[in-house]
Amino acid sequence: MPETPTTAFDEVTAWILAKNPERESVGADEDLVENRLVDSLSFVEFIFTIEQAADTEIPMDTLDLDDLRTLNSIRKAFFDGRTPVTG
Amino acid sequence: MVSRLIDESERLKTILDRLNEKSIEDYYNPYRVFEWPDELPAEMWWMTPELTTTYGTPIADELPAERLHALSRHESVNFYSLNVHGIRELLIEVTKRIHTADFRTPSEFFHHFIGEENEHMWFFAEFCLRYGGKIYTQPRGGAETIPPNNAESLLVFCRILIFEELVDHFNSKMALDRNLHETIRQVNRIHHQDESRHIAFGRELVSVLFEDFRKTATEEEITQVSDYLKRYMSFSFESLYSPQVYRDAGIENPLEFRRRLLNDPRRKEFEQQVFRKTFSFLTKTGLLGDRDLSAFSASN
Repeated sequence: MPETPTTAFDEVTAWILAKNPERESVGADEDLVENRLVDSLSFVEFIFTIEQAADTEIPMDTLDLDDLRTLNSIRKAFFDGRTPVTG
Repeated sequence: MVSRLIDESERLKTILDRLNEKSIEDYYNPYRVFEWPDELPAEMWWMTPELTTTYGTPIADELPAERLHALSRHESVNFYSLNVHGIRELLIEVTKRIHTADFRTPSEFFHHFIGEENEHMWFFAEFCLRYGGKIYTQPRGGAETIPPNNAESLLVFCRILIFEELVDHFNSKMALDRNLHETIRQVNRIHHQDESRHIAFGRELVSVLFEDFRKTATEEEITQVSDYLKRYMSFSFESLYSPQVYRDAGIENPLEFRRRLLNDPRRKEFEQQVFRKTFSFLTKTGLLGDRDLSAFSASN
């Protein structure tokens, strides 16, 4: 199991919580779209937050939306196997 | 169904004939008409200052002229990139409908429309790649709510119209701005000329489609359509505030920068200016009840 960039990944969770102040936590497998934690209006910021945290550019043309559905799928698609940015 | 509505509208048929003639009269070869200098000067405005996202905010006073010029350069490439992606979407929708039974009557106009939009997409992409080195990517959005079943074509042509009117606000102003480079003015001028025909058609078609939808729609369905359009308008407007643009222009914290701009009182004023004609049309037809998009902003 590759080391996970805990602190950098936490930026994604922190962004979701800041957008949804009524929530104290987000489940790792919770569906972010179905539970309305992320919607299309906040999508621009959401994508940019992942890009910054993972230090990568997300290709929108080939992006699989299922990769963005849960914290676990985001971690797997954009963070696992990368050199930790911080932490 | 749609075909019957179009055929019953003498006004729409007359307008279609006039627009078809005009498309033939105004035809030009975009691959010859533009002069593309090797480069455009970096130390100048690439957009009319009033059309940039920082204009009229305290942030604009905090930044030196070079940074504002750099921002206008990246914002202009983002604006033309939005055009490229928006045109792709509308080409898909119109191509799906041309020469189907429902759209038999406007199909001749659709040929001009598809041809002209294809050429617009080419010159916008050319500008981005020559002078920006890339086309900014754009997440699709603002249209994920489920509209009433029988409103699909109405909403598709509303989205096309809203997108064209937003773009035209910028084109018409930049075409006349003598402080901009001639190539920038030319791109905006030529697009504005063609879009005025597309907008004229879009308004007529949307009016006919909405009149028919309203005959059987419930209040709830009309509200669903209105919310859908407001969400799309807000998403389209906020796409002008791109964190990738701010990053490329050397802004230290692009997301914080974006939030400050979206929460600044100037944002609402800018939004009302950009959609002034669009709001007038949509409220007059009854598609929108008011001009307030604040419930649909990402900055909430």
